[in-house]
Amino acid sequence: MIDPLASASQIAASGLRAQSTRLRIVAENLANAQSTGTTPGADPYVRKTVSFESVLDRTIDAASVKVKALGVDNAPFRLEHDPSHPAADEDGNVKMPNVNPIIEMADLRETTRSYEANLQVIKRVRNMFSTTIDLLRNS
Amino acid sequence: MQPVHLFDLAARQAQWASVRQSLIAGNIANANTPGYVARDIEPFSKILDSTHLEMTRTASGHVDTSGTSLETGKIKPEDSWDVSFSGNSVSIDQELIKAGGTERAFQLNASLVKAFHRMFLMSVRSS
Repeated sequence: MIDPLASASQIAASGLRAQSTRLRIVAENLANAQSTGTTPGADPYVRKTVSFESVLDRTIDAASVKVKALGVDNAPFRLEHDPSHPAADEDGNVKMPNVNPIIEMADLRETTRSYEANLQVIKRVRNMFSTTIDLLRNS
Repeated sequence: MQPVHLFDLAARQAQWASVRQSLIAGNIANANTPGYVARDIEPFSKILDSTHLEMTRTASGHVDTSGTSLETGKIKPEDSWDVSFSGNSVSIDQELIKAGGTERAFQLNASLVKAFHRMFLMSVRSS
């Protein structure tokens, strides 16, 4: 059986990995908040979403996490009137990406919070490891 | 001479704390997974009350029961501090408090083992 403490670090690391993927998606969405198409009436950048899935570790009944799928947001595009834009349709409307910066910022804060919680777990596990190793010192 | 059970007891509590810590790690890692239900282990006092003999593995094909003798399970939603819309019942604050408590228990346990070991050494050296 794998040492539970070692698997705790692995699980927390899987959390870190999942949250950093989420952070990457937030960064992509924010960076492309103004990315329109290039031909008249073309679709702009579509907001990406990320969903998580838990993976059960049978030996200790604890679950690590992984990114299940990167999806796209089906929300309608915002229309902006700008007839001189290369992506403007015959009415002069340009489709803008369905990215809402406020939602992305909220997601960013939650990602940071979850990431820090996982880091705390790794710190605690490391403390427990060094407590055990300290038993061998000065005795 | 009476057999000394303290080291056995301490080892079991250390094992319990390690398993609990990895369950907490799993809960925190899944803090944003839709529908995930937080898990916990039964308290150590309960494990002490229901002490039973364990099966030994004499061949590699036998089922490894060394970890599963500790009863783990999902915690009830009403025991969690907050349940989100998707049914995820992980509260990061609650899990971090639990992680702190488990770490403290583990350190106390290790200190006791160290003190007991010192007592052993003292009796060996003085003779």
